[in-house]
Amino acid sequence: MEGLSNFVAAIVALASPMSVFHVAWATLLGIFVGSLPGLTATMGVALLTTLTYTMERDTAILVLICMYVGAIYGGSRSAILLNIPGTPASAATSLDGYPLAQQGKAGYAMALATAGSALGTLVGILMLVILAPPLAEIALDFGSFEFFWLAVFGIVISGQLTGGVTPLKGYIAGLLGLMVAMIGSEGIHAHVRFNLGFHQMNGGIALIPAMVGAFGFAEVLTVMWRNKPELIEKETTSDRILPRIADLIRYKFTILRSGIIGTLVGIIPGVGEDIGAWASYAAAKKTSPERDSFGKGSQEGLTAAETGNSAVVPGSLIPALTLAVPGSAPAAVLIAALFIHGIRPGPMIMFEQPTFIYSIAAMLVFATIAIAIYGLSLTRLFILVLKIPREILMPVVFTLCVIGPYALTQRLFDVWVMVGFGLFGFVLRQMKYPMAPLVLGIILGALLDKSLRRGLTLSNGSLEPFFTRPISVFFVLVIVLSIAMGLPPVRRAMGRLTGRGRPTEK
Amino acid sequence: MRFDSATADRVTAAVFFALGAAMAWGGYVMDRLEIRQIHPASIPGLVPMILGGALMICAALLAINAPRTPRDPDEVESGSWGNFLFTLLWSCFYALVMVGRLEFAIATAIFITGFAGWFLVPAATDTPSRLKAAGFVAVFGIVAAVAISALFRYGFLVRLP
Repeated sequence: MEGLSNFVAAIVALASPMSVFHVAWATLLGIFVGSLPGLTATMGVALLTTLTYTMERDTAILVLICMYVGAIYGGSRSAILLNIPGTPASAATSLDGYPLAQQGKAGYAMALATAGSALGTLVGILMLVILAPPLAEIALDFGSFEFFWLAVFGIVISGQLTGGVTPLKGYIAGLLGLMVAMIGSEGIHAHVRFNLGFHQMNGGIALIPAMVGAFGFAEVLTVMWRNKPELIEKETTSDRILPRIADLIRYKFTILRSGIIGTLVGIIPGVGEDIGAWASYAAAKKTSPERDSFGKGSQEGLTAAETGNSAVVPGSLIPALTLAVPGSAPAAVLIAALFIHGIRPGPMIMFEQPTFIYSIAAMLVFATIAIAIYGLSLTRLFILVLKIPREILMPVVFTLCVIGPYALTQRLFDVWVMVGFGLFGFVLRQMKYPMAPLVLGIILGALLDKSLRRGLTLSNGSLEPFFTRPISVFFVLVIVLSIAMGLPPVRRAMGRLTGRGRPTEK
Repeated sequence: MRFDSATADRVTAAVFFALGAAMAWGGYVMDRLEIRQIHPASIPGLVPMILGGALMICAALLAINAPRTPRDPDEVESGSWGNFLFTLLWSCFYALVMVGRLEFAIATAIFITGFAGWFLVPAATDTPSRLKAAGFVAVFGIVAAVAISALFRYGFLVRLP
């Protein structure tokens, strides 16, 4: 009950004309960013973070949340009209959204995507308000031993779920991220490691330049490398652009289930919106009476995918706020932004900032209202945005990629880091290495390093507490099971036991 | 060589193995801070050694599994390497050479005009269209550069490079 009153109080506190103004522009910008192939939510949040340095704390977090929600939703536009997901989160959306557009129902597909996104985010917000405070309380029992396993768990599970056909590439990406985090002054004795003679690396590799490179410059290279997509304009202006209430009632269980699945996927460290969408889509396909129409323009499939990816947004903020472990790549940037603005996410958040989680939930509600309004009223404008030539857009994006990292520390070294990570990110992506574990590794590296060495110091060099404390035992079991499930012989055996092979990725 | 192929996986496995070995060795020879009498279990090189070892194992598994890794035979890696190379070189020239040496707005105007012009001007079919495209990208480059510089300098109070 106290949580509900805090939540209502946060909404009331946020309902000022200035806040509404920030919600309006940041969400619209987010939708534009998400709808343009090549501009991802992570990139949008990372670039916008660099613009919020001079903003007041709550305003800065508000615009970043609005950018995040808007970009994840905006990805559905190009998924439906171009058959190219604006963000990876909308990959499942294109399966049914594009066939609907080909049938002349692009407007209605976008209306359903809007309704699904808004409702999915609302389900996620509800779960954020319910789950975050008790999770923060549980996290208070975490010591160095548990935090070490939490970091390992994050890397393993993220590598497992985002690695595609081979989790090994996911693990390698996670290890590379952890290794990047080893650069610079370590957190216990302040000893400088692996600076390779560059004094600029004494403080380590900053997350924002790395993220802007891996998600910004790498995307610019990818977009310019790929062949041009074709925009579907057939009948997009004449069909219905408001969702039918009857359809939403018909899909109520799909929406609720996808919202819950999306939120739970969001809670898992470093997994992200695309997995939330695929998991929701697969669950809907399995239970739907119209499963045969999935992939051919199913309204239910589209709704499930959009509800699932949007619900990941509030879900990913649950571990980000209570454990300082991001549930997705954009949430990783949000954690960095929180630190920049003087907020320390983690188990102590409910003591240090008891109402902050509710403020975040209120910000998400405002962003949701904004995407609903924009989504249902600006359909035609978004079609125009998709017509901006990439040759015009990409140099502007790259300019922002240069200036963003520079703005944080005023040193050109961070621009070089951005360029290096961009090239590295492009090559890794082409070779099917997922980016989420890499980012998670950079974030969790310091936690893993400090927790292991601090734990060993506390236990006088003994590994026993790492394997005997109850929460540690839980993490160890999950990690071992996850790795075992990724081994080909185990997967083959499981396939034989369940009578079917490994399901395909899509 | 395709990006997603057994050969590519073997090559990257070799690179990652070397990287892991370098990190493990770097961690092993790292100062153990005995002079500060720290606990031996908290030496700064401990985690780098573990990570280096883990990467070596993963790299070895990647190389061993490379021929058996399932790949989508229908997936075509289609893209223009000419476009890629120009984007890479021109972007790097802007970020690593022009920025910091030229006034930011001037460097940005040159970059945006050059980038858009490289693609849009040759795509025009006849001379008048090419001239029109060149004029458009020049105006766009200048307007975008001035707008971005002004936004950051006066809107977000960022000192530009």
